[in-house]
Amino acid sequence: MAIQAPGKRPAPRFMKSKVMGGKFMKGKRPGNADLQLTSMVDMFTLLVIFLLSNFSAAGDILFMSKEITLPTASHGSELERAPVVAITDNFIGLEGQKVVDVDQIAHDEILNIQQLEDNLRDLKKREEFVHQNDKDHVFAGKINIQADRHTHFKIIKRVMYSCAMAGYGNINFAVLAGKQDKGAAPGGAPAPAAAPSGG
Amino acid sequence: MAGAAVPEGGRGKGKKKSLDAVINVVPFIDLLSCCLAFLLITAVWTQVSKLQVGQAGGPSQDQTPPDPNILQITLQITEKGYTLTIGQGGSNIDIPRKGTDYDLQALADKLKEIKLQKQDQRTISIAAEDNVQYNDLVQTVDTCIKMGLDGVTVQAAT
Repeated sequence: MAIQAPGKRPAPRFMKSKVMGGKFMKGKRPGNADLQLTSMVDMFTLLVIFLLSNFSAAGDILFMSKEITLPTASHGSELERAPVVAITDNFIGLEGQKVVDVDQIAHDEILNIQQLEDNLRDLKKREEFVHQNDKDHVFAGKINIQADRHTHFKIIKRVMYSCAMAGYGNINFAVLAGKQDKGAAPGGAPAPAAAPSGG
Repeated sequence: MAGAAVPEGGRGKGKKKSLDAVINVVPFIDLLSCCLAFLLITAVWTQVSKLQVGQAGGPSQDQTPPDPNILQITLQITEKGYTLTIGQGGSNIDIPRKGTDYDLQALADKLKEIKLQKQDQRTISIAAEDNVQYNDLVQTVDTCIKMGLDGVTVQAAT
């Protein structure tokens, strides 16, 4: 029980009484205080508006991993849904699943990565099967490459070659959208469509 | 506290009804709290974008014959820096590294000069060596796009 200052301690029913309760409240501040909710509602409204304006229904396109640190680019366009080839120091993956170890292919003489190409061909067949009745659908061969910033071009070129061999020639490098700087050439530099997208 | 005026409607000569009515904001706060929680959970904090590139000889390459007015610009990325070749058999312009980093500003200036001379020019071919890092390649592609050369083709350096 809480420690109370000595003095009169009336029963709760006396405290509630309009007649008797007044005697005991002399010189005391009223116990009830109204919460000022206006500012809180204002803050909530602003936060909801801000978050709604940044809301993206596109969902997560890339499988973000601690092993992959994407480089930053300021003139990228909005990332679209396409198969994702992830390249880390240790392995190469497709759609979140490991396909082959980098050590396994490091000493290959050929440019192609056979396991990756086979998986991509399967993926292409699956996509074509799904859309076989959709005459408007044209296979665009889009693929997103999500590589760590320290990955050497030796691996990148092999992945790109494998993608091209499997029919995925429309290659996109996934990057983090950075700030656009000044000094672009006249008539060039498309505005970055850095709309929030999956990540 | 939020309040709103209600039409005056006395019950007679005696007490007058108060003109202020208190709106119950508790359901509104509940709704806002739910919206806030949902939006915070589903918010995407990393802004990801893409840089579209083509491959030399790949399926995405246009099969149309090259326009004679368009220069063939090749940018080699090597350990020493950039080497810019304009036109077939043209002279090489070396842009050495600036310390450990590639000199993107010098590259941007050179590309700007080319773009001013050839405003229709939109294509460039980037040839990178095996040990070039992905970050450097991306920065180079980004600089090319920034300078209006958005038809970037990536290939291995010979």
